[in-house]
Amino acid sequence: MANTSQQADVVVLGAGPAGYVSAIRLAQLGKKVTVVERGDIGGVCLNVGCIPSKALIYAGTMFEKLSHAKDIGIEVSGAKVNMPKLIEWKGTVVKKLTGGVSGLLKANGCAVIAGEAKFTGPKTLEVKGKDGTVNLSFSQCVIATGSRPAKLPGFDVDQKRILDSTGALSQTEIPKTMLCIGGGYIGLELGTFYAKIGTEVTVVEAGPGLLGGVDPDLSKVVQKRLEKMGVKLKIGVGVKGQKANGKKTEVTFADGSSASYDVVLVTIGRTPNSDGLQLEKAGLKPDSKGFLTVDAQRRTSVPHIYAIGDIAGQPLLAHKGSKEGIVAAEAIAGQKTTFDVVAMPAVIFTDPEIATVGLTEAEARAKGIDVKVGLFPMVANGRALSVNEPDGFVKMIGDGKTGRLLGVHIVGAEASNLISEAALALELGAMVEDLALTVHPHPTLPETLMEAAEATLGHAIHIFQRKAHGSAGAGASARV
Amino acid sequence: MQFKLPELGEGVHEGELVKWKVKAGEQVKYDQSLCEIMTDKATVEIPSAFQGKVAELHVKEGDVVHVGQLMLSFEGAAAAAASAGGSQAQAPAPAAHGAPAASKSAASAPVAAKPSGNGQLAGAHAPAGASAHPAALDSNPATRVLAAPSTRRAAREMGVDLTSVQGSGPHGRVMREDLGRSGGGGSAPAAARAPSTAQRPALPQGGEERVAFRGLRKKIAEKMRQSKDHAAHFTYVEECDISNLVALRSQAKEMGAKQNIKVTYLPFIMKAMVAALKQYPILNSSLDEEKQEIVYKHYFNIALSVQTDDGLMAPVIKGVEHKSILELAQDIQAVVERARNKKLTMDDLTGGTITLTNAGTIGGLFATPVINYPEVAILGFNKIFRKPVVKKVDGKETIAIADWTYFSLSLDHRVVDGAIGAEFMNLFIQYIENPALLVMA
Repeated sequence: MANTSQQADVVVLGAGPAGYVSAIRLAQLGKKVTVVERGDIGGVCLNVGCIPSKALIYAGTMFEKLSHAKDIGIEVSGAKVNMPKLIEWKGTVVKKLTGGVSGLLKANGCAVIAGEAKFTGPKTLEVKGKDGTVNLSFSQCVIATGSRPAKLPGFDVDQKRILDSTGALSQTEIPKTMLCIGGGYIGLELGTFYAKIGTEVTVVEAGPGLLGGVDPDLSKVVQKRLEKMGVKLKIGVGVKGQKANGKKTEVTFADGSSASYDVVLVTIGRTPNSDGLQLEKAGLKPDSKGFLTVDAQRRTSVPHIYAIGDIAGQPLLAHKGSKEGIVAAEAIAGQKTTFDVVAMPAVIFTDPEIATVGLTEAEARAKGIDVKVGLFPMVANGRALSVNEPDGFVKMIGDGKTGRLLGVHIVGAEASNLISEAALALELGAMVEDLALTVHPHPTLPETLMEAAEATLGHAIHIFQRKAHGSAGAGASARV
Repeated sequence: MQFKLPELGEGVHEGELVKWKVKAGEQVKYDQSLCEIMTDKATVEIPSAFQGKVAELHVKEGDVVHVGQLMLSFEGAAAAAASAGGSQAQAPAPAAHGAPAASKSAASAPVAAKPSGNGQLAGAHAPAGASAHPAALDSNPATRVLAAPSTRRAAREMGVDLTSVQGSGPHGRVMREDLGRSGGGGSAPAAARAPSTAQRPALPQGGEERVAFRGLRKKIAEKMRQSKDHAAHFTYVEECDISNLVALRSQAKEMGAKQNIKVTYLPFIMKAMVAALKQYPILNSSLDEEKQEIVYKHYFNIALSVQTDDGLMAPVIKGVEHKSILELAQDIQAVVERARNKKLTMDDLTGGTITLTNAGTIGGLFATPVINYPEVAILGFNKIFRKPVVKKVDGKETIAIADWTYFSLSLDHRVVDGAIGAEFMNLFIQYIENPALLVMA
């Protein structure tokens, strides 16, 4: 075992979407950067998160569409899912992307050390890897170690009977029955995939509804679709425990009932990877949930150490981490930068997709704003109908006094690809009217944003609004 | 609990406590200004990182204090800031609001970072150069300042508080151009004034008053002494007929007034300086004594002497060669306002290549200005007065009334010889007497 010493201007811990982005920007700004990664380059997002799950969800949707193709005059017989082949294809997608990131790090001159890092002092780290131990000293450090699936006591993940999200992305057999514990976005995305390829899925959610935090008007549309797909929902019910029942797992619920499943998928949240870093040696102390507290430049309580991405707190989103990575890099380079973001969009790849940005109706009302709501249903959009995706709507929130756009919430086909226009509008400080006055090409899904803006103002063209130029009633009548 | 002097900016380790703005027993709010610290780069206000009652002040006005030194003790809580750091509150980065004439450093001005309003620890540890004003960082799209991300970034870089800018766009949107107009800073609390040469109220009859010699006054003294100790001063004075420029400026003034821009003589003089400096670049140089090299500057940043209540300051108008008369007028107006409101940034105060001083508004025939070291030249613009002069009209000499003035040029004879200075002056005056020639320069 070799034992070497190295020195860097900046050490970035973690090569996920926060860490690698920060490392590249730091290198662009002239810093000597060393990246430490204990797993695979690309982090959870590229390896066992966003990317592989979207590959599977795409495949699941394609299979489901084939099964219903006869409705639109296409008859397909013999379509079936070849699970090992699908998982292999997913692997090639991941490999292409992670290889790309490795190449970018290298091209930008970032050194990469594979190994597990621990602080040994405020400006020193020890990295244990396969090839030995590296003692790393640095002037500044960016902690981007991310998060991992939270554990549920009594449900030890073995990735065979009991899975977490990582295991759910690598099953080579289609389970006949599956229980998803947790009706958040990860559970619903993966549960929907399995439901589409033929698994009988049950979702159990202890909270009052699916997709907590999302406008219930939106989650209702997803819930209806899940029910139509045959997914069983147990909402407001907790789980008590489990035991092996042959090859199956018998789960008991808080309502006293019990049932057996081929696999149980635990998706109850994520835990920050702050333990194991010996943060105390650097003078850092995470909060009670394990997150590090940071300032507007993502600096921790130790001025030369920054934290970005999941470890720096909610929302746990890859693009939030990437943005923080850039801010921290610029701060380290002495630029006058700050995390100055109005619009932090979020997307959920359920069926149909959900995408939101800005204030929800409830949040806006809670702030005492004179809220104007405009709704435009996908069913009134030519493109949505012609791609056979009539479910969902766009909900726009405006300020009745100032006319400002406050939030956009979409449930429907391609919602994830529609939200960026709304994010740009919010970031630029657009008025609702600006969206309404912008010509949107026909026939496209983004027309729904223009129409929702018109609806907010009380005069959408393609739905009948009883109270033209009306105030509070405009949104309500749009619902008809 | 203890409050220690936070980081003041890159490379700044100590400063002089100019003034306490709180006293023992006083209730202090988070972010309230505690004291003024004069560093060799700028005077900064140190905002409070805690909320509570001041128990004791541990340093006296006039003391030199070091980063990390105990400043005061207080009863109460370190607001948001002290999360992991225990009982030692650290203040947000101080806001630079003024400094004496040119400093060699190009370090950017530290600007106060305030809580982001996102429920996250903000500004606790001197983020050098982040302007994170709460309203500008307001995550509520209903109440935040309307401005595009690129405008917000420019505001940060200029040290402009967006909430204090009057937006000229639709719905009060702050446009990129509004930033220059605002003149930076904004709604600063009226700062207590340091001792200065400014008018003082009538003293009681008899007796003496002793005022501590410190702050900007002391800094000016050091700079002046340094200049006189190094540069070999001599002053050359020439008179000129400024009638044409008076006429031109009065037209420009009207045009500027329509755009709310006050057009003085200074933009024209700056343009004439640049035109002449291009022919005599040695006046736009400095002497690097350490390396024994003369540094010729291929850019024209003209420092402008501005008298403030606290004393003389010399903010810099940058890139004069690239700016129109109206742009210069606008810049000058903004920078003078910033100087008077103690809102100058480090950027305003560094990078000058030559200085222009304007004593004419008060009076006097001419002055012999002191060079703004390490520059090698300073041009004095004196009063304009009307006097009878001999003019040739149709080949005949006659007495006419002219607008007249004197320009005084102090030079560092180590670098610039008298003849060169005189030739520069001749060319400069040619432009002043015939300002139309400036379009050819």
